[in-house]
Order: sequence, then structure tokens, then C-alpha cells
Amino acid sequence: MLKMTHLAKVYRTEVVETYALRDFNIDVKEGEFVAVTGPSGSGKTTFLTIAGLLETFSGGQYHLDGIEVSQLNDNARSKIRNEKIGFIFQAFNLIPDLNVFDNVEVPLRYRGMKAAERKQRIMDALERVGLASRAKHYPAELSGGQQQRVAIARALAGSPRLLLADEPTGNLDTQMARGVMELLEEIHREGATIVMVTHDPELAARAQRNVHIIDGQVVDLAEDPRFHHAVHEARTGTPA
Amino acid sequence: MPHIKPILAALKRHKAGTILIALQIALTLAIVCNALFIIQQRVTRLSRPTGMDESNLVAIQNRWVGVTDAAAAGVLTRADVLALRQMPGVQDAVQVNAFPLRGGGWSTGVRVDVDGKKPIAHTTQYFMDEHALATMGVKLIAGRNFRADEVVTTDPDKIQTSPQAIVSKALADKLYPDGSALGKPIYLGDDRTPSTVIGVVERLQVPWGAAWTDDFAENSVILPVQLTGNFSTYLIRAKPGQQAELVKAAPAMLTKLNRLRVITGDRGVRTFEVVREQAYKSDRGLAILMGVICLILLAITAAGIVGLTSFWVGQRRKQIGVRRALGATKHDILSYFLTENLMIGIAGVVIGALMAVGLNLWMVTQFEMARLSMAYVAAGVIALLLLGQAAVLAPAMRAAKVPPVEATRSV
Ligand SMILES: Nc1ncnc2c1ncn2[C@@H]1O[C@H](COP(=O)(O)OP(=O)(O)O)[C@@H](O)[C@H]1O
Ligand SMILES: [Mg+2]
Repeated sequence: MLKMTHLAKVYRTEVVETYALRDFNIDVKEGEFVAVTGPSGSGKTTFLTIAGLLETFSGGQYHLDGIEVSQLNDNARSKIRNEKIGFIFQAFNLIPDLNVFDNVEVPLRYRGMKAAERKQRIMDALERVGLASRAKHYPAELSGGQQQRVAIARALAGSPRLLLADEPTGNLDTQMARGVMELLEEIHREGATIVMVTHDPELAARAQRNVHIIDGQVVDLAEDPRFHHAVHEARTGTPA
Repeated sequence: MPHIKPILAALKRHKAGTILIALQIALTLAIVCNALFIIQQRVTRLSRPTGMDESNLVAIQNRWVGVTDAAAAGVLTRADVLALRQMPGVQDAVQVNAFPLRGGGWSTGVRVDVDGKKPIAHTTQYFMDEHALATMGVKLIAGRNFRADEVVTTDPDKIQTSPQAIVSKALADKLYPDGSALGKPIYLGDDRTPSTVIGVVERLQVPWGAAWTDDFAENSVILPVQLTGNFSTYLIRAKPGQQAELVKAAPAMLTKLNRLRVITGDRGVRTFEVVREQAYKSDRGLAILMGVICLILLAITAAGIVGLTSFWVGQRRKQIGVRRALGATKHDILSYFLTENLMIGIAGVVIGALMAVGLNLWMVTQFEMARLSMAYVAAGVIALLLLGQAAVLAPAMRAAKVPPVEATRSV
């Protein structure tokens, strides 16, 4: 589904070059639920933005669903984002000027879908996240957990094959975070591929596979005892 | 296809800016439509022909100095006219009480019925001899010219009804709409005896160019009378190409003829171009002023649109990034802002069109303005919508360049 080989991403300013990713290799299979962990500034968000075609990369290769994406022009990338990818951001990123219904509708309109089908999908998606009754509310009138569920509904409405989530629970309290996680697990069970960046070891442990990034590179967790300790701690509540 | 419903929904959340710009567009439209309409009317007025051979005419205004007796002044005036007609380079010359666009003259009501209470039309009266038509170069389209023996020389106070009159076609048609005015009577002022129409000229404008004369602008009567008095005014028609030379030669000749005169000031010797320019100075000034005001208003409106849209684009960078992340193409973003502006613009021009008509109706009642032609409103609507789209283009293109990765940047 998502395969990066020897991928590099350099941010250049006038004074410095920052390698956000270097010799970055990852292979996410169709239907997998992968949790990405790593210290702050290690390149997790950079990885997701490239994976989601929000940004280009400096070197290496990236195949998304079998397509080498570096060849695609801006319109083609927009189309893939719209049809194959769903985004969930840490800051929810709902459009404040639009109500819940209109927010969920945004990607569907860009797909040129007919009004009747849009409405059906929006209500289905809102039903799933338990917010059908809030369709006319504006984001500012909702709690953080509700806003993130609207964002998930927006990501779901277009039935994307790949869901990319960047610390989706980072701004939520534990209980809300669990609700969001359960939702993601449900979506995963229905066949979507999910890549989720998280700082929360408990949530990471619930994914099928963990990928750890340090300094812009994927490190092999089996070789890193620190990870086992962390997982153990998360599962048992006592240090290993 | 742009998405109108969500754009409207978003605009509802930005009422202040939206209403402000819509009203600015409305006000600009209302003022610009009316101003352009007034400009057009002024331009029509100041480019309307007098009916004369303007390019060859020279006008001279002379004041007799030390000639106390009106009869003596009459004799001197006659001598001037005869001398002018003898000058090389002169086609013909005539002594006049007034001429088109001179700025001062006589006017009165006209009846066709001796007992008629209300005058049918208003007209100016020109007092000239049988050289009038040849000098002014106006075209006789019916009847005949005056004969020399029909011309009467008189003091303005003792003026009598002239048995003969030559009228302009505009006046003839007004007085006798059902047939030729030739041979018919006209009663000038409160005359009880008629003047008979012996000739009709194609066109002859009144001595004024101002708006208040618009409804009798071409109603003229020429009467075979030569007025005597302290002032004498001559109209001279130069032979082709001699006009500039005459401007110098004619006053020099007159001064040489006798020195009991003053020909000075900015109305002393004038080519007809100068006469026309002076007559329409305020019209032209007003037209230019209104044009400048229109340009300033349009510029302010355009600047307002650029400013507000730039502000909104800056404010919405994040949501533009989010839209891009969710699949919007650059073109989708560009058309979002163009459509948004178009909708504000449409609201503005609808209000503005109503205001334009309202403002005009008010001016119609207050200043006897003409009714605004709908073509001006339609042209104004299109112009303002295009102006809006042009003004919004640069900020909208900046919006389209916001990268999708903006969605992930924390605020
Ligand atoms: N737009 C950018 N310009 C310059 N440097 C950047 C930019 N975005 C990220 N970086 C740098 O790249 C590195 C990885 O950042 P990021 O992917 O956001 O890390 P994480 O999400 O793991 O905290 C950091 O050193 C960060 O400073
Ligand atoms: Mg990050």
C-alpha cells in the first residue's frame, strides 16, 4: 500500500540544511494498522506529510498503491489525496466558518459527487462517530473530542483506503482519546489501512505494528530494548 | 463548478466585511452610473453643432467711445459692416445682436394664434440683415432670404414687429407640426401683429449652451432688423484658410477706420472655436471633475476588495491548506475566491442598481435631470463585477499557492 525506499527529505533555509528524513525505509501493507512513535522532532510529521502527498521529497522512492508518486503533477496529487487518503490532524483542522455537515462535505464536493450521495455519506459518517445530531453545529460549539470525531467523519466520508493520523489524540484527555482510538480500530476492522503517529505507548501498543523513528530514520524495535521496556510498562503498569 | 452554498455559508460568518464591500460596490455603482450619464449628457451638449460654418467664423465685439447719439452709432456701425465686407479674405459679414453660444441674447415666447394665451414655444430672436445666412453659413431649406429693402434700422427701445421672419426648422416644426410654416404667421412676445415666415433654415442654435436652454436649444427666429446702440457686434465669415489672418487684420482695419472704439478683453475678437470653448467651459470642467471622481471611487473600491481579500486569504491560510489536503486543486481555491467575490459583487450591484435609479429619480425631481438610461446601469453593473474579479485575482492567486502542507503546521 505504502512503500518508501531510501527516501530523503531536506528542509533548506538560507543558513541550514535539515535532514528531516534520511535513508528512510518503510513498507505498510494493505489493511495494516501501524503506529509510528518517536521523539519530538524525529520526523514523524514529515513522514506523514510525504506519505499523504502534502509535500514532495528530496530523494529516494515512494510508491503509493503501486504508483511512483514523484512523477505526478499537482492536480493528480490532489485527486489521490481526495480519493484514496483520509487525514486526521492533531489540531482537528475543521473549517471554523462551516458547520459540521458542511465540514464533512468538503472532500466530497471536491470529488464532484452528486448532492444526494453526499448527503447520504455525510449522515452515515456522522452516525458512525455519534454526532448526527450535531450536524448544524459549528466547530466552536463542540468539545475537542467531538471536533476530532467530526474530523474522523470527514476523513471517513470519502471511504479512503489509507487513513493518516498525526497524533489524533494529542489534544484530547484520556477518555476522549480512548473513544477516538476505538473508532480507528473499528475503521481498521472494516479494511482501511491506518498509519497513526502517537506519543501514547498505550495506544501504540493497540496497533498491529509499531514503527519507531529516531533522527529521521526507522529503527528496528526488536533491537532496541528501550522499546520493550516501554511496552511492558504500558501493558502492565510496572517497569520491566 | 464552484460551490455556491458553502461559500455563502462561510460569508454569513464574515458579515461585517461582506456588507462593507457590497455597500461600497453599491455606492460606487450608483454614483458612477449617474456621473457617467451626466458626463455623457454634457458631452452631447458641448459637441452639438450650432448650424453655422464654425471653422471660418470670427466674432468681434466693439464698444463706441464718445458717441452719445444712438443714430450716430448706427451710422458708424453700418460703416464698419460695409468696410468688413470689402476686406480681402472676408466672404461676408453681418452686424448682429447675438449669435449662437455668445452667452447673451434675446428670447421670448411664440404664439401662432393672436389670441393664444400660452406661447407654444420659446425662441431666441436674432436681429440681422440680408447677409445673415451667407455670413453664418446656415442652410436655407425653404422660402427665401430677406431683401435689403426689408431691413429696418432701429433703436432697441423703439423696435416694431417685423413683417418678415426667418425661422429655424426646429421652431417651424414646433409651431406648425402638421405642415410647412412657410407663409404662416407667428406672434413674438405680446405682439398683436404677426410676422410672416418667409424662410426656414436647417439649424441655428440659441446664444446659450447651458442646460436651461436644452428644450429650446435650436428655436431661433431671424428678424430683418439692425439695432443701434453703444455696442456693436460683428460676425465675419472668412474665406477658407483666412480665419487666423482675419483675427489680426479685422480689428486693425476697424481701428484704422475710426478710433472712437474699444475692441478688447477676452470677448473682443474671437474665432468661433474660442467662443465654443468659453461657452462650454463649465460643462467641460464638470465632466472632467465627475470623470475624476468616478476614477477615484473605482480605485478605492478596487483597493477595498484587494485589501479585504488579502486579509481573508491571510486569515484562512490554514483552512486553505486543509482544503488542499482534502483534495482541492489550485484551481478550486482560485475559483473559491473568485466566486466569493462574484457573490458579494452581485449583492452589491443589485443594491447599487436600485440606488442608481433612486438617485437619478431624486435628481430628476430636484434638478430636472433626464431619466437615467438603463444601458448605463447595465454597463455599470458589468464594469463593477469585472473590476471586482480583476481586483480579487492577485490575492486569489496567492491563496491558490498556499501549499497543502500548511494543514499540518501548528498555529
Ligand atoms: N517546514 C520546515 N522547515 C524546516 N525544517 C522543518 C520543517 N518542518 C519540519 N522541519 C524539521 O524537520 C525535523 C522533523 O520535524 P517533524 O517531522 O515535524 O518532527 P515530529 O513530527 O517527529 O516532531 C525537525 O527538526 C523540524 O525542525
Ligand atoms: Mg509532529
